Amino acid sequence: MQIVFGGAFNGKRQFVKQQLKVEECSWYEGQCPESISKPAVIAGLEKWVKLQLQNEVSEENIMQHIKKVSQQAASSEQIWILTDMNRGIVPIDPIEREMRDVIGRIYQHLFAEAQQITRIWYGIPQIIKGADHCENLYKNR
Amino acid sequence: MAHSKLIFISGGVRSGKSAYAESLVRRFGAQRKVYLASGRANDTEMRERIERHRSDREMDGWHTIEQANQFEKVLPLLETGDAVLWDCVTTWLANELYEGWEQGEICAEKIGCMEAKWDRMKKTISQIADRAEVLVIVSNEVLDDFMRDERYMKWLGKIHVWLVQEAVQAFEMENGIAFKRK
Repeated sequence: MQIVFGGAFNGKRQFVKQQLKVEECSWYEGQCPESISKPAVIAGLEKWVKLQLQNEVSEENIMQHIKKVSQQAASSEQIWILTDMNRGIVPIDPIEREMRDVIGRIYQHLFAEAQQITRIWYGIPQIIKGADHCENLYKNR
Repeated sequence: MAHSKLIFISGGVRSGKSAYAESLVRRFGAQRKVYLASGRANDTEMRERIERHRSDREMDGWHTIEQANQFEKVLPLLETGDAVLWDCVTTWLANELYEGWEQGEICAEKIGCMEAKWDRMKKTISQIADRAEVLVIVSNEVLDDFMRDERYMKWLGKIHVWLVQEAVQAFEMENGIAFKRK
């Protein structure tokens, strides 16, 4: 399991498209189906989370769902594209406040599960987890 | 292709990005240090703040050019070998994208308006970098947040990606520490 992480409009999807043969891969945008069999890209997870919260699904159920999906990464490759949204000002909208908490905890779970995490800063990749065998500050900066 | 004289620096509010940018420019020891300021005063406090910054820099030997938009107008004011610092992209983008709000018709809502401005700006940035000894561009990290103004955020992301691509060096500032990303 891999994660590509970074702020909005930083070029995360483009980085993933350059990295893999997309035709061999299912691309889920703003969706998170419970059963994933093929190699898959799961992008726009924050939109899916927002929808669940609007439909009054509990955080516990959302988390269970995510765990069920991420477990399947053991048998088929998954790339999660996660948007960093938690460095701003406390939102006025209560749903957004709840969302920050929920996605923050989901991201922590996924970060713990992932073998490799790449942060994208305006198109520049930086491996922040899983570069142990090629850890090289100069390469990584 | 990267421009050998273009340096990009971005960071959060009070991350020390401007101080770092100024120190980079100073290191070049150019004949003249030019500060391109794109902030616009909308109230007295802002006007006083801009004036204070301007006189602080003047004492430090900076020549300030205030240009809120239409940066091509800066070109005739520059001399070959100037070390130029532009602070910052976010204020310029706001000035250009929302131009015309007094008339109720902002650029962001006119088809092709911002695209044309950005095309011109890319050319101007290259021309400034060609003429200058160094061009340091400062911007802000505002994309790690909820969607506040999608048009603005989308443009800023696009502009930052281009600047990082063009720059010979790109730094991310965190609390006074510069991380070299390129």
